[in-house]
Amino acid sequence: MARSGAEIALSVGVVALGIGVAAVTATLPSEGGYAGIGPNFIPAVVAAGIILLGVWLSIEAFAGGWRDTPGHEPSFEKSPFLWVSAGLFAHMALIGWAGFIIAGTVLFVCVARGFGSRRIVRDLAIALVLALGIYLFFVHLLNVNLPAGWLSPVLGGAGI
Amino acid sequence: MNLLYCFIGVFIGTLVGVLPGIGPVAAMSLLLPVTFNVSPAGGIIMLAGIYYGSMYGGSTTAILVNIPGEAASVVTCIDGYQMARQGRAGPALGMSAMGSFIAGTVAIIGLMLLAPTLARWAVKFGPAEYFSLMVLGLCVLTYLSHGSLLKALTMAALGLVLGLVGLDSITGVPRLTFDKLELIDGIGLVPIVMGLFGIAEILSNLEQPPSREVFAARLRNLFPNREDWKRSSGPLARGSVLGFLIGILPGGGAVIASFLSYALEKRVSRTPERFGKGAIEGVAGPEAANNAAAGGAFIPLLTLGIPPNVVMALLLGAFIVHGLQPGPLLMTQSPGLFWGIVASMYIGNLLLLVLNLPLIGMWVQVLKVPYRLLFPLIILFCVIGVYSVSGAIFDVYLMIGFGVLGYLMRKFGYEPAPLVLAFVLGPMMENNLRKALILSEGNFDIFVSRPISLACLALAVLLLLSALLPWLNVKRKELATDES
Repeated sequence: MARSGAEIALSVGVVALGIGVAAVTATLPSEGGYAGIGPNFIPAVVAAGIILLGVWLSIEAFAGGWRDTPGHEPSFEKSPFLWVSAGLFAHMALIGWAGFIIAGTVLFVCVARGFGSRRIVRDLAIALVLALGIYLFFVHLLNVNLPAGWLSPVLGGAGI
Repeated sequence: MNLLYCFIGVFIGTLVGVLPGIGPVAAMSLLLPVTFNVSPAGGIIMLAGIYYGSMYGGSTTAILVNIPGEAASVVTCIDGYQMARQGRAGPALGMSAMGSFIAGTVAIIGLMLLAPTLARWAVKFGPAEYFSLMVLGLCVLTYLSHGSLLKALTMAALGLVLGLVGLDSITGVPRLTFDKLELIDGIGLVPIVMGLFGIAEILSNLEQPPSREVFAARLRNLFPNREDWKRSSGPLARGSVLGFLIGILPGGGAVIASFLSYALEKRVSRTPERFGKGAIEGVAGPEAANNAAAGGAFIPLLTLGIPPNVVMALLLGAFIVHGLQPGPLLMTQSPGLFWGIVASMYIGNLLLLVLNLPLIGMWVQVLKVPYRLLFPLIILFCVIGVYSVSGAIFDVYLMIGFGVLGYLMRKFGYEPAPLVLAFVLGPMMENNLRKALILSEGNFDIFVSRPISLACLALAVLLLLSALLPWLNVKRKELATDES
């Protein structure tokens, strides 16, 4: 198997994570009272373990690829993936201030597009109805508060 | 009332089992917030129903469409789909439903016999025993995981780091919180599980939207004939026992049980060449095994409070939300709840038989909902589910982050299950380790001077050594490639 940049990056990333955990661990108190081991003991063990695993992965990656990787590379299509990711990130950005219904609608339409739907107007309609229905169901029947956001004047005081 | 919850649980379970791309783990975490408003018994019965319901539903899709509805029915595809192509979809479905029912019954009887004894024994466990038992559990888990040991260990280590975040359970010192208020309570199980299993699964489906060609023609006679029963009785019995035992093991669970059962049936069969060409034994054995495993998996959770797989980890979460601590005392402190769960499992299995045989046509219709509407809806529900558990937008961010991470890791052949289990078991282990050391005033001898603890640790060392020895490792890999 050929060397792969992604595998090397991932292996080095694991080492870096281990070093990061170790750095944080160094700031933790070590007095353990009766137990003899303090709050920093397990984090130190875990950090050491991760660095070890990262080094091992790196050695395999540099030596020509990890063993046991699935032989066939699954087809990766950029545009559906981008649509779904865009939906997820838009949702993250919107849910805080635009509220659940708007964020959910955007998410639904983007993901539907990612899975090959071309009828945006229809998707939008379905998404709006679904998001509104789910919102009302959760807020009024299950007493779970979803953020109302921009629509809070319309929806009343539900989104406290 | 609990009957209704049981019905809702198995109904949803069958639904997610039938639908490829969403498994019991994602469905259970979705419904976790709903159970907050329900009585503890009702909530747990409902969640448990989803688990074994999905075992039934998964085989329907496997047989009719040749796509596993969920992971434990991968092997059912092999012979089940061949049977469907030969026009014997009916007997295949019937055998898988009835086989599941028989195995479920065996597992429940096993649970009833074994759990009280084990619990009486486990009451004597101290922190040292628990710690050593969990060490053994993690070793079995990494040993049984598919593919590379190194990758499984890496994922487990990641899970341990995530488990460290938050306040230290003994001294209350914040660890790895980076002074963020959101991280003080630690990272929630639900965002991790929903991200790694829900979102990541859907992202993976983007690559190869499974084509669906439903083989529902000639679904008249669901009953296997005399010949089928004669062939299947052995596989059913072996699958039930094997599945039950595998289910108890940490990291075992339904998926491995079904693979092992298939391999076993092929080996003991006098006509192994029929396997892969529509042998009913290849449906009966694995289907019995995965259901028996689902039942067996309850034993470590209900008697020791240790979840053996991701589904049980979620159930543990549900117990804790309701202020219950599963473990040896559960049976004596709330016997009504314990036996209620056991009874509901039996009723659930009966309900599933009814749901799956006469109503099979309805599930076939469900399979025809287009993915471009189904998947966005599932993602939408994931978002709400996560948000409603904690009411924190931060958890939605976490879930999406874990979703992308899980998808990328999967592309490199990393399994998410070791991460989740290490995340749950890690803090329990640390807590017990330090409690044990407080009892012994810092003396590590406590782990080897107590016989049960010593036995667990010795077994764990043996297992690790055998995994590292090249000869056995080749065997293990043969098994893993056999399975994939």
